[in-house]
Amino acid sequence: MADARRADGASELERAHAAVETAMQAGATQAEATFTVSERFTAEARDRTLTKVERSIGKMLQMRIFVDGRKSSLTSSDFDSSRLRAAIERAVGQARYVQSDPLAGLPDRLEAPPAYREDLGLFASAVAERTAQEKTEEAVALERRIREIDARIENSNGSSVGDASATVAFVNSLGLNGSYRSTRVNRSSSPVAHDGGNKRTGAYGTAARSLDDLETVDAVARAAVRRTVELFGACKPPTMRVPVIFERDAAASVMADLFAALNAANVATGNSWLANRAGERIGSELVRIVDDGCLPGRLGSSPFDGEGVPTRRTVAVDRGVLRTFLYDTYYARKLGAGTTANSAGGGIGPNNFYLEAGAGSLEDLIAATPRGVLVLDTIGFATEHASGTYSRGARGFYIENGEVAYPIDGFTIAGTFAQMLAGVDRVAGDLRFDASVVSPSFRVAEMTISGT
Amino acid sequence: MLDRETLERLLGTALARGGDYADVFCERRVALSFRLQGGVIHEGGLVVTQGVGIRTIAGESAGYGYSDDLSATALARAAGVASTIANGSDGAGRRAHVEPVSVARLYDADGSASSDSAAYVKLLERADVAARAFDPRVSSVNATITDEIQEVWIATSDGRLAYDRRPLISLGVQVLCVRGKERGFGYAGDGGRTSMLYFDGRTPESIALEAARVSAINLEAIEAPAGEMEMVVGSGGGGVLLHEAVGHGLESDFSRQGVSLYSGRVGQRVASELVTIYDDGNLAGERGSLAVDDEGNPGSHKVLVENGILRGYMQDYLNGRLMGVASTGSGRRQSFRSMPQPRMCNTYMPAGTSTVDEIVRSTKRGIYAKSFAGGQVEISKGDFVFMIAEGYLIEDGRVTSPVKNATIVGNGPEVMSSVVAVGNDSRLAGGHYTCGKGGQYVPVGVGMPTVKISSITVGGSDLG
Repeated sequence: MADARRADGASELERAHAAVETAMQAGATQAEATFTVSERFTAEARDRTLTKVERSIGKMLQMRIFVDGRKSSLTSSDFDSSRLRAAIERAVGQARYVQSDPLAGLPDRLEAPPAYREDLGLFASAVAERTAQEKTEEAVALERRIREIDARIENSNGSSVGDASATVAFVNSLGLNGSYRSTRVNRSSSPVAHDGGNKRTGAYGTAARSLDDLETVDAVARAAVRRTVELFGACKPPTMRVPVIFERDAAASVMADLFAALNAANVATGNSWLANRAGERIGSELVRIVDDGCLPGRLGSSPFDGEGVPTRRTVAVDRGVLRTFLYDTYYARKLGAGTTANSAGGGIGPNNFYLEAGAGSLEDLIAATPRGVLVLDTIGFATEHASGTYSRGARGFYIENGEVAYPIDGFTIAGTFAQMLAGVDRVAGDLRFDASVVSPSFRVAEMTISGT
Repeated sequence: MLDRETLERLLGTALARGGDYADVFCERRVALSFRLQGGVIHEGGLVVTQGVGIRTIAGESAGYGYSDDLSATALARAAGVASTIANGSDGAGRRAHVEPVSVARLYDADGSASSDSAAYVKLLERADVAARAFDPRVSSVNATITDEIQEVWIATSDGRLAYDRRPLISLGVQVLCVRGKERGFGYAGDGGRTSMLYFDGRTPESIALEAARVSAINLEAIEAPAGEMEMVVGSGGGGVLLHEAVGHGLESDFSRQGVSLYSGRVGQRVASELVTIYDDGNLAGERGSLAVDDEGNPGSHKVLVENGILRGYMQDYLNGRLMGVASTGSGRRQSFRSMPQPRMCNTYMPAGTSTVDEIVRSTKRGIYAKSFAGGQVEISKGDFVFMIAEGYLIEDGRVTSPVKNATIVGNGPEVMSSVVAVGNDSRLAGGHYTCGKGGQYVPVGVGMPTVKISSITVGGSDLG
């Protein structure tokens, strides 16, 4: 699908510009449009067979429309010119039923247009140029590799190799515009093995902007196999209160929950346990939480956010003290702050959001723990962030005398986010950026394990 | 959306290099929404999804291309991508012929998604007023209404052309009660494959009051206990338990590939003899229903488990063919951008004989999980969790204090074998559930009578 698109995003900018024009003609007082073209490829193998090949070019228009402070939004994949015009007019019409809000609108016009960074290294031409054959062979190789590494791997849920390259163009009616290209490449595998009478699946996946930054086929296969077999013979632990170590991927899911609590939209509507706590100590000295959209080559980086605001680095929690929530323009105005360039998809989302690394390895952390639980994986999700209660299904290891003693599963870990952040007493140095929300491994002084 | 000749030509292109089967899925979906926040209508939204997905199946492999560009060139290219999964040339010049198939009328869609915006806004405002009037501690109300019409045209190389026009409306209300530093959250939602008229009977006030009642109760909630204990699962929304503990493991992709713990176990005991579980795509107006699935096959009533014995799986075309059985109308996809997967429709347990009172009175020390906020399962070993939205302690046969949101963890077959009583009050939950699998989200329904489980692990933080 070698489309003869201009690499500079000019045609995408024209489309976004035309959509804004149409909205203004239809009665909008302000409008913005993000036009995205993405080319995607996925290959999946099971055993020796290539089971799935998917390939496409997709276009998407996302708009926010304001009529005197009345907001509506439009998302469309229908680019027939008369139907698109009708949809934009309909979205403008919907805005008339919305209450006018003086805070609703585009970011303030700047005296000079912002200089968007062009050196973020988001596009890797080697990703865009790989042939379908290379990728399908790699999926089959990954599937073969998991079986070579460990003979107990007798089945799988599939191994997959995928990539995407996208051009994003942004235009608003105050004259702001910009575009960028990015790539993303991923490898994942999900082996299955028999553990006595039980089946066990271990999934491992990783992603990056470029092939150079991506874990190798062998590394992905080894991690997936380890996750499948390391819990063989796991039992349900007793109910107890002990220190809990979150391995970095499990730790990242805790960070995703913390992002929701720092999300200014949740704060403004009372749906965050952190509401009214700005400036207060909410965690131990070791807790420094950062959102940074300008880290070169990272998956959460971009020159500007969903409203065209240049991305930046924001320290949300510094040495345990809550410094700021994470804002888009609207909620910044609402709560009397400035935007932190976290507008995404019509709401508020993370750039690269992470707990800053400490020192040492996960093994060092285990060695420093006389008795406790190492959590490798959690299931379940927070259904609301108002109460700050934390409770998840988990699996991992019981730790005794600074060593991994035996595998455990079928238990839950529980506490409150406030207790967890205050209880962070060690942070490892194993942070890496294979997603937009990431974390190093860390230990919480005490949590409730619920088992037998 | 595309004429019959174009569809037939695309099927031919998809099979140009051989292959066993091909289908073309055309979709046009228009979803209108409004959101109320802080007592006023905060925003409106419109989502238009249009495109075509073309699939070729060869053995157990599938090639897929999709396009939002409906030009002949772009569609031919998508069909060409799909065709590459087959590596022969025996299909060259093959031409499919499709004939319209009759599709049952399962939904009453008159008025949906074309209604006057003012009518949607009015429903949200009524919900807001009702929730605020419930309790002075109600500090914030968030309400959303979404109304969509999805039209699908599905052409298959075995000669079928199916058209379905599916309405889907939902109204959800979130309420937050605050007292000092305590916060209590409540959510309620309802709707289905129906129109705005649904809310004449199920009023926005009744949905708002349910959310407000739960938020006020959660304000009083104490720490949930930790450890193994008895559990009573509430009727309706308790069906999330069936969805996670059994349903996913009976989807035929997992079972055919031997990945699910239920693989190869048809005819075997997988649950207590009190347990019968159905999945039904044919319930008129329900959120998970489908007159035809996303592969053009009619929705059906499936017996998954009968008196504790596993009876069958939920099949899509690809997995059914490889297992030598017909599709059960369970092939579903999020949109034209995804290939179909075998999925649940409305999953429920029919009524048993116990009364709720008997069930509660027989419980010495346990948790009464009246409703769940969601769940998740790992389908190989069958370990699952679900999150309590409204729960209470049961002490000596009496319902006592409300408990804070806690996760419950169990193993599918173990928990289903521990069902010791099934209530006579089976009902479907209000239509607001959405199921995610492999990154695809589809609307589903769940239902359940009150059920007692003799032992399960409750993930609270109170060691007692």
